[in-house]
Amino acid sequence: MSELSATHFLLLSAALFIIGMVGVLTRRNVLVIFMCIELMLNAVNVSLIGFAWELHQLTGQVFALFVIAIAAAEAVVGLGIVMALTRRTDTVDIDELRQLRE
Amino acid sequence: MSLEVAVFSLLALVSVLGALGVVLARNPVHSAIGLVLSFLNVAAIYLVARAEFLAVVQVIVYAGAIIVLVVFVTMLVHPDDLPEFHGRRSLRLVTGLVLGAALLAEVAAAVLARGVRGAPGPWTDEVVAAVGGNTRALGQVLYVDYTLGIQLTALLLLAATIAAIALARPEAISDRVAAARRVLTISLAHPRGLDQPELPLALPGTQDGRVKAAGGGRPIVLARSADEFTEQPAWGEWRGR
Repeated sequence: MSELSATHFLLLSAALFIIGMVGVLTRRNVLVIFMCIELMLNAVNVSLIGFAWELHQLTGQVFALFVIAIAAAEAVVGLGIVMALTRRTDTVDIDELRQLRE
Repeated sequence: MSLEVAVFSLLALVSVLGALGVVLARNPVHSAIGLVLSFLNVAAIYLVARAEFLAVVQVIVYAGAIIVLVVFVTMLVHPDDLPEFHGRRSLRLVTGLVLGAALLAEVAAAVLARGVRGAPGPWTDEVVAAVGGNTRALGQVLYVDYTLGIQLTALLLLAATIAAIALARPEAISDRVAAARRVLTISLAHPRGLDQPELPLALPGTQDGRVKAAGGGRPIVLARSADEFTEQPAWGEWRGR
């Protein structure tokens, strides 16, 4: 552990991903859940770049770039859904948004 | 412990603290600030891993565009009605924390026990420098080996833009129906002024028991003329189609 290796990147990635996952599981505000999903996508990028750095490859960086592009698309659509939901139901509480279930 | 590990540990610590701030802050704007902190430190970690182009993209796309979107939407939704102030769900909190701790322990054990390593690839620091830097090397790989992926990503971004415009467009028909359902309109001059056909056509009063029952708690609007009636977002207007 004295030299920097992909293990460091993987541990950081796991920590960020699991913090994001706990946020998605415990929070009730749609916006905060959305931010936690961004956090999880970002954590995946950290591990991809850690592997790319350790193995002297650029494929990991290419995939991280694709993940960033898809995260941007997801952000746009997700926030559009949040806006449409709040306009129709006046709430951002995930417990009150159950029209699909009932 | 080398200088590289010390720098990495400091950046990782701050980014994990920022991530904790996202989850723990009650106000969504404070969560967004924690998210920026985390994203910027992760960008610095990309610099440690010599992924300069991705560090810049991270700052522009994540810390710039996505955060601006989040803060804008936070301003547009209700400012004072934050769900967390109405009591937490303790069962969900315990479940989330236990699951998170268990998964973290599992993944950490798997990472620390990692034995098999792949063969190193061709892109050592010298090769990247000979090509002309990280951005040029990345461009070569991206536009030679992953051309199809780039084009599909472009299509995906276009589709997402169109979807966002369609979702955020104001005044959909469903909104007008929802507004019409909130009032009971009674036109005093229109032959079919009442949107409840079972009620008598004689002039009803707003305090009439049957009218109030038909209103079901909705505010009752008495319109003077047929024109005024048609300008109201009436329930019958929607039901007639």
